[in-house]
Amino acid sequence: MKSPTSLAGRLSRVSFLILVLIAAWTMALSIGEAGPPQPEKAVRGPCVRDAEWMRRNHMDFLKHKREETVREGIAVKSESFLACAGCHQSRERFCDRCHAYAVVAPNCFECHQYPK
Amino acid sequence: MTMDRRSVLGLGGAIAAGVALAPGLHLIAAPADKSTPETAPVRTGKRWAMLIDTTRCTADCTECTQACRAENNVPLFGDPDRDIHWIRKVELRDQNRRQAPISLPVLCNHCENPPCVHVCPTEASFIRHDGLVLIDKHRCIGCRYCIIACPYKARSLVFYKTRPPRDANPNVPIRAAGVVEKCTFCVHRIDDGKPPACVEACTKANKGAMLFGDINDPNSEISQRLLKEKTQTIRPDLGLKPHVHYKGI
Repeated sequence: MKSPTSLAGRLSRVSFLILVLIAAWTMALSIGEAGPPQPEKAVRGPCVRDAEWMRRNHMDFLKHKREETVREGIAVKSESFLACAGCHQSRERFCDRCHAYAVVAPNCFECHQYPK
Repeated sequence: MTMDRRSVLGLGGAIAAGVALAPGLHLIAAPADKSTPETAPVRTGKRWAMLIDTTRCTADCTECTQACRAENNVPLFGDPDRDIHWIRKVELRDQNRRQAPISLPVLCNHCENPPCVHVCPTEASFIRHDGLVLIDKHRCIGCRYCIIACPYKARSLVFYKTRPPRDANPNVPIRAAGVVEKCTFCVHRIDDGKPPACVEACTKANKGAMLFGDINDPNSEISQRLLKEKTQTIRPDLGLKPHVHYKGI
């Protein structure tokens, strides 16, 4: 087989290579943006529980705490919403962004205040 | 707390082994009581009550109601039929006009036999260990049976959505529309060892008409005064054993 040696052929090869590179680059960028949004980093620590455990179980944890707090009177200040806000300062970046991504709508903040 | 499948199975096996061994012989030690002051449940044995001296309460003073609104973020809608009142001032008039009218605050009486709790279909209204009658708003469905059951008109339904006031107290949640609420004796303050906001405001205003304390403690000021002074509750005939005592009515 005879390889193309004309200028037009070379140009077309180079331009194809550039196109492929651009496509790969944009794909790599978009892959970086996919996946669950990362919650806001805490300004101090450590968390009341392991962070990985919290990511999976915080909803059950909060529900359990709310029963204990309201009905038994065991109000652990360090594990309240107010204490969450001490380290994770933005509700929008810490709670809402992930909930929007997961399409869940917990109604905690209809009543509870998340101090800014 | 969630347990994974493996630990549940393991626990079941351990219990079965314990049963098979011998009754009274424990292979697994009972979990040690790890409760600290902060994580311990409210101390039982306490019984919170209030004494209101109507001879010291004046009709023009609204310190207690204002303090309550500020402390508990209670909004005013401007609609008299639907406004929320945790504590309100009432005027008692003698029908024969022999006595001067008496002004007194009326709030939730935290009854020992609360009809509101008995009628609640979701067990949202409950009596806490220390005798406070509270509402678990997470469970309330807004059916309003309790409002009808309460003879003291202590409960209100939140008809409208509200936004927190600018200087809201962060320790008390604002409210969602469609749930019932009432005086909590400032439960968040009691748990911090402080008196309710209305009592504090009354004392600060040098009225001294309200006294709050534990009536199970015979040495507390309220117990002593209830022993010595002539007091009564509103509608004692209903047998609800209310715990807001009045003097001078």
